[in-house]
Amino acid sequence: MKVRFWGVRGSFAMSGREFLRYGGNTTSVELVTNAKQRLLIDLGTGATEFAKQLMHHEFGKGAGTLPILLSHTHLDHIQGLPFFTPFFIKGNQIRILGAAPLSGISLEATLQNQLAPHYSPLNGLENLAAGVSIETIRPGETITLPGFEVVTAAVPHGSMWTTAYRITADGKTVAYLSDVEYPQIDDPLPEALALAHEADLLIHDAMHADHDYDMRRGWGHSPARAGVVVAERAGAKKLALFHHSPDATDDMIDQVVERTAARTSVPVIAAAEGNYLDV
Amino acid sequence: MQITFWGVRGSYPVPGAATVRYGGQTSCVEARAANGDTLIVDAGTGMRALGNKLSREARAPAHYHVLLSHVHWDHIQGLPFFSPAYVPGTKISIYALLTAADELHQVIGGITRHEFFPMPLEAVPAVFEFHQVEPGVELAIDGFHVTPIALNHPFGSVGYRIDGDGSSWAYVSDTAPFNEVLHKQHFLPGPEPLSDDDKLALSAMREALVRRLHGVDTVVYDTHFLPEEYAKFPHYGHSTPDQALEICAEAGIRRLVLYHHAPTHGDDQMDRISAEYHARGARQHIDVVTSYEGMTLSIGPEAT
Repeated sequence: MKVRFWGVRGSFAMSGREFLRYGGNTTSVELVTNAKQRLLIDLGTGATEFAKQLMHHEFGKGAGTLPILLSHTHLDHIQGLPFFTPFFIKGNQIRILGAAPLSGISLEATLQNQLAPHYSPLNGLENLAAGVSIETIRPGETITLPGFEVVTAAVPHGSMWTTAYRITADGKTVAYLSDVEYPQIDDPLPEALALAHEADLLIHDAMHADHDYDMRRGWGHSPARAGVVVAERAGAKKLALFHHSPDATDDMIDQVVERTAARTSVPVIAAAEGNYLDV
Repeated sequence: MQITFWGVRGSYPVPGAATVRYGGQTSCVEARAANGDTLIVDAGTGMRALGNKLSREARAPAHYHVLLSHVHWDHIQGLPFFSPAYVPGTKISIYALLTAADELHQVIGGITRHEFFPMPLEAVPAVFEFHQVEPGVELAIDGFHVTPIALNHPFGSVGYRIDGDGSSWAYVSDTAPFNEVLHKQHFLPGPEPLSDDDKLALSAMREALVRRLHGVDTVVYDTHFLPEEYAKFPHYGHSTPDQALEICAEAGIRRLVLYHHAPTHGDDQMDRISAEYHARGARQHIDVVTSYEGMTLSIGPEAT
């Protein structure tokens, strides 16, 4: 299995020279099996770049199929949806899977509202030319997608919950824990540890530098050190710091990686837009 | 009066190496009068950096006025990230056209629904005030005189003529041209045949736009598409620099600013667009300038 980060930024897309090495697009991560089956997690602005690549292949001809997992529906995780060009080609089959954002508000109603006529000229999911299915996950369930097995769990994110994923393919495992803040930040929840158990790659929320965290406690995001605790206790083999703050320039992220790596024997990287990485 | 461009991109923000010079953030322009009065036009992602600057320079909580052309995501997405909104005592007045909804505050507040954003607008410390605008109904805001102008865009949008300090400029975005497609209150999968009434409506809209722009020094215009792109997507609600030049030539405009750049137009292509249309404008005695993030223009004395 390979992974490619198309968007690693949290909250807000950042353009400019100070954000070129790690990238300024909001969250979107592609997983590919050895047999070239694909899976996308989250539809931040990074998904618009991924879309361009897809359109060169079968998606441009209306013959593509893709499952998309959503961690949640905060805007930085769905703002690429109206501009994900494979949706506009008839024949493509795209599944969007995610939990209901809140009790009483379905995933479909939320995405419909994103495309409501005052916000988007698309005026509703029904106007997407591709075949699009919205499928509601009940966190805790295991899902089988072509080439991938996906274990899901709800984790706390400020005043809401996000869905975290443990994805296994080709005998390798990636855990995706973005947008999470544990009640005790140095004592991660058992659900998180179970998802990350002996994962080959743990992708973890690292919105805040450790020294900034105290001012931002309760905002729903983790300091870099939270991912270290999860990785060490769960026996994950590699940690990718993810969901970088929009205020974090490339040089600041370099420093976070350096300080985080110094406190653990688990290999640490900061997720960066760019190439396919072997898991 | 000066105007500064905080976001010049259309549709969605585009970070990356291809946009470092022209900028990747979406629509947001700041107008500032000589006495410091400020108007913000559109609340795209460029509004975050503007808000940070205004926060740095504010000595006390202020009253900000935000004119919205319409409420598509690329024109409102910056609002929840406008840092002065989180300072108690701040007041934010929002002016917008009401389309496809019952209440302005529901539409604008809707972008911070719990599913979309952690803090709802009602919980933000700033006090928000909403004003519905009508094309042709003039407004006085601080020392500015503002005239909303109807534009041709899916579910409606308005441009603004803004007069102040004895000079004037206009913000004409987002809009399609006025010949091929009439945007109404429904989804357009492609161009629809125009009825006679549609044709009359388009020519009336165009005529009113040219009339309102007459005598304006600088026009900031939606030039999202190149002509070959427009030909493929005439129903998307955006114009080309050629169409903007035609309107500006009729209205006797001194300077045209290309704006709302397509997210797919990288810096090198923007350089070519800029050079080509600057030369074309010169032949019609119009100074064509291509907007980039951080650009400030002084608005000249009103042409006569």
